Amino acid sequence: MIDNRYITEFGYLSFNHVGEELCGDHVEITSKDETTKILVLADGLGSGVKANILSTLTSKMLSSMIAGDISIKECIRCIANTLPVCKVRNVAYSTFTIIKIKDNKYVDIYNFDNPTPFMIHNGEVKDLSYSSTVIDDKTIYHAKIEADPYDTFILMSDGVKYAGVGETLNFGWDMPQIKNFMGVIYQKEYSAKALATELANRCNDLYNSRPGDDTTVAVVRIREREQVNLLIGPPTNKEDDEEMLSLFFAKGGTHIVSGGTTGNLVSRYLNKPLVLQTDYIDKEIPPIAFIDGVDLVTEGVITINKVLEYANNYLTKNDLYFNWFYKSDGASLIAKYLFEEATDINFFVGCAINNAHQGEETGINFKIKMHLIDELANKLRLMDKNVKVTYF
Amino acid sequence: MTVLVCVGSSCHLKGSYEIIELFKERLAKEHLEDKVTFKGTFCLGKCGIAGVSIQVDDEIITGVTPKNFDDVFNKYILSRI
Repeated sequence: MIDNRYITEFGYLSFNHVGEELCGDHVEITSKDETTKILVLADGLGSGVKANILSTLTSKMLSSMIAGDISIKECIRCIANTLPVCKVRNVAYSTFTIIKIKDNKYVDIYNFDNPTPFMIHNGEVKDLSYSSTVIDDKTIYHAKIEADPYDTFILMSDGVKYAGVGETLNFGWDMPQIKNFMGVIYQKEYSAKALATELANRCNDLYNSRPGDDTTVAVVRIREREQVNLLIGPPTNKEDDEEMLSLFFAKGGTHIVSGGTTGNLVSRYLNKPLVLQTDYIDKEIPPIAFIDGVDLVTEGVITINKVLEYANNYLTKNDLYFNWFYKSDGASLIAKYLFEEATDINFFVGCAINNAHQGEETGINFKIKMHLIDELANKLRLMDKNVKVTYF
Repeated sequence: MTVLVCVGSSCHLKGSYEIIELFKERLAKEHLEDKVTFKGTFCLGKCGIAGVSIQVDDEIITGVTPKNFDDVFNKYILSRI
């Protein structure tokens, strides 16, 4: 039986071989059904377009075959027979790591020629115990464990292991250093994406931002679900104020209120004063406010627009991560709640038209506001969050 | 005396940040920090007008810009203390 208090969380980040448009590593995440999730990290031979094709084929095929309960032996044979043979090297080759998690508990890892995945258990780095089988001259390592909540698995391509070669270090960075690094930075509060970003960035630094190989880190962990509720805009009809607010506050988890008018509405509803911070942390983002009983109060459209910018970046290069992760302006704080902490997000969107904003030179209007929320909800779904949007 | 500067979306775009900085500077220069409670506020409902809205006690003053800031400060704050 699956324990619904928990969820399996994935996060990964790649840096391309210097000068390459395409990454030769590929990560594919599939859900077989509600209970089983699969991640495949493949590293194609070479770099650029050839490597990209090899790793994309490998990871896509493997993830669908594993989801279809096809034996690992069959999977490997099928891959070997399918991959195009490189004319220069006369081989068809892509390394891979597969991780399959069932019921947020039963973990299977298969590794072929990628650096050996390890785990973090109770905040400590732990090696997994592998058994090996040879299938058509290929040695596959298999680990099987029953994981506890917050067990975290770290998968990587060999670009991680060789980070620094020829730039800052010559083989001074290897598995012991990688494990040590993860052990030091690990915090239970860090999301899978945050952990992957920290390690991948570390490698990129060692490469002096000129990776000599495609470098990918994927992190999988089992975590508790966390609900975050965001209220934005007063309802179209004033009579619905009460209903919208009572539904909002009835939800468990974190409560964020976005928008000045909305903030005032909440302050009246709770009968608690709204206190504004006058200090700007970021000149671009209006200051945040405080209401007793609400976790965060921010301005609306400008703040959410910035959050959307961070969301787009999070799903691609994630190089703005260090901007918002350690900052405490309204947009950074919302980004942290939504991207890092939340697994389930409820938007309460009031559709009242703010007459003060319409048709003036600031360019804020109703259409823009609705568009922002839709976009943000879509990006959050791409981050694998369960998002629900309710309009009032 | 209480002075509130609007930091709602619209005023923010029209330069709340600069106005707040100017206020902080001027209040320090005139040694009025103890006599004036200086805070931010969300929308004062006057978004359609150019410039930033501020509220001095119960009176809302609209259209504050860095250009007319000194006149506004002298007229509504300095002369009333």
